[in-house]
Amino acid sequence: MTDASMTPAEAKPKRSSLSVLDARTRKRNAAETRFRMYGVAAIAVGLLFLMFLFASILRSGIPAFTQTVMDIEFVLTQEPFEEAESKMLKTGEYQKIFVNALQSQLEESGLEVAFDNKAIQRIVGKPGGTIRSYFLENPDRVGTPVSFELAASSRVDGYFNGRVTRENIVDSRFLMASDLDLVDALEEVGIIHSAFNWNFITGTDSGVDNPGGAGLGASVIGSFFMMLVVLFLSLPIGVAASIYLEEFAPKNRWTDLIEVNISNLAAVPSIVFGILGLAVFIQFAGLPQSAPLVGGLVLTLMTLPTIIISTCASLAAVPPSIRDAALGVGASKMQSVFHHVLPLAMPGILTGTIIGLAQALGETAPLLLIGMVGFVAREYPEGFLSGFTDANSAMPAQIYTWASRADPGFYEKAWGGIIILLLFLITMNAIAVILRRRFERRW
Amino acid sequence: MNDMRIVERDVDTNEVKIAARDVQVFYGDNHAIKDVSVDIDDKTVMAFIGPSGCGKSTFLRCINRMNDTIDVCRVKGDIRIDTEDIYDPKVDPVQLRAKVGMVFQKPNPFPKSIYDNVAYGPRIHGLARSKADLDDIVEKSLRRGAIWDEVKDRLHAPGTGLSGGQQQRLCIARAVATEPEVLLMDEPCSALDPIATAQVEELIDELRKNYSVVIVTHSMQQAARVSQKTAFFHLGNLVEYGETGTIFTNPVDPRTESYITGRIG
Repeated sequence: MTDASMTPAEAKPKRSSLSVLDARTRKRNAAETRFRMYGVAAIAVGLLFLMFLFASILRSGIPAFTQTVMDIEFVLTQEPFEEAESKMLKTGEYQKIFVNALQSQLEESGLEVAFDNKAIQRIVGKPGGTIRSYFLENPDRVGTPVSFELAASSRVDGYFNGRVTRENIVDSRFLMASDLDLVDALEEVGIIHSAFNWNFITGTDSGVDNPGGAGLGASVIGSFFMMLVVLFLSLPIGVAASIYLEEFAPKNRWTDLIEVNISNLAAVPSIVFGILGLAVFIQFAGLPQSAPLVGGLVLTLMTLPTIIISTCASLAAVPPSIRDAALGVGASKMQSVFHHVLPLAMPGILTGTIIGLAQALGETAPLLLIGMVGFVAREYPEGFLSGFTDANSAMPAQIYTWASRADPGFYEKAWGGIIILLLFLITMNAIAVILRRRFERRW
Repeated sequence: MNDMRIVERDVDTNEVKIAARDVQVFYGDNHAIKDVSVDIDDKTVMAFIGPSGCGKSTFLRCINRMNDTIDVCRVKGDIRIDTEDIYDPKVDPVQLRAKVGMVFQKPNPFPKSIYDNVAYGPRIHGLARSKADLDDIVEKSLRRGAIWDEVKDRLHAPGTGLSGGQQQRLCIARAVATEPEVLLMDEPCSALDPIATAQVEELIDELRKNYSVVIVTHSMQQAARVSQKTAFFHLGNLVEYGETGTIFTNPVDPRTESYITGRIG
């Protein structure tokens, strides 16, 4: 009882008012306010970058979804059809027929613009072949009015999108400044106009000289088949591995080593998986190059650690009392895991899987090494099974291929491709969120 | 339910249900239970008392081999239920646990409906032949758990939505649904308020008619209220056990007396 020896003044500290902040409290409050400001600033910077990113993607990518087309309707009667077919240069004859039809339409609408075949070629390429193959396939259409929608060249497209202007145009064999007068005139009478480019979404890739005809469709299919492979391999393998590691395996040096290495694998650069895939799946196992099957296998290797880590984490997050409860009523280890632990861990497992899939969907580097980048996916696979083995591209690989091509039209396509890729990723993340909600509602 | 009953309570000479001899438990290098030998009678409530960390819960978990789930835990010695050695390699712990039910310290209903909580055990053990059979078992168990009247109108509501006391009684109902012969309770009332505790204690007294009940408790009053036999654990040793009245009024060992009178613990 040392208090007894104290004088009353010492025992009673100076009374402070609650309405006056002391220096220490003021300092703490200031620190708290400062910390909040840092947080708000960090989020604001993040949002700013995100907005900048979206704005630039949309600005550069939206033009890829429109295509300048030339609408022209004309009647090909039997006589010139037969005459053209009898000539040596058949498509050239059709080209002439087309130019004549265009000429007469312009005259009808009272526009007098001089142009020649070369100018038309610079604007819409050589449509003679398209027209000929149409009439050869549909001979009954000869003699009736047929309207053609022909894609304009990438420079004309650029003129409509504002990429090419009268000021910056350099006369070349691709487009002359004088052609722009013709384009303007055609636009005035409604022959040339912008239209939504369905071909970009549903079409296949085109050659390096035809950005207008390039589409992402085939590579979307390629990505789809890869994701099927990844889902059906990595989900069961990953979940089974984590259930064993987390619930059944004894905790010893070996399992620790395995777990540490799985965590390390998640951080291995994806190109390493690519070269592994090249060596093992293509060179050793002899699987076809550029095939979505191989791409899927490589991406499975890459996704597995992500899925295992997230599954282990969500299994470990299930309270041990649930396991005790199940074992306590006489459930076997497996029953307790499958009846009680796994359902509770499901939201986490699904989220991890979908995040892993989304990561795999956007991965380019490993595809580079197994030959999917640079492959020109001109055709859709023939059937479901050949979808796995036929050479194809994938969305990110296709974007990469386009971005490295010379024609500025492809640059635009690459941005457009990124928009579609992002839409897929947003959809997948939305599915992850919805599944999470749905499963969590079952307590 | 007052302490006076200790004296009146006469203990029937029931046959021994669980016989433990020289049980040793090691957690890695830690010798947690030392030479515990105890007989637990059929159709009686036996209370394990003792200070925290004295090994009473560990010993309880030996009786249904829940300690098997802990990797570093080793059990030596001999525990027999109805003369059968439960640590015999031929004994499947899963089958044993259906026979020896357990109620845990924290109420831990499955995140499923009340019905499914109770029906889970009978389902996995195939105790019900039909849906009606299962309904009967669920109702009977919930009645034995003294919770039927409170939940009969919402059997398909989540079990986790009940109050703490109700959850614990649901867990007891779940434990008795598999028709065990022994019921182990690890501090079943430590998370409950006095009213819920009184309900559970009343229930334990009811359960004595059908089961041999072993209860671990920190509350000596509770041990005195519900049990016929009491065992006192201290630092991994079973100091003494016997009739509850004798242990509380006339203990042999000075350590028991010190603990009961509040001098150690």
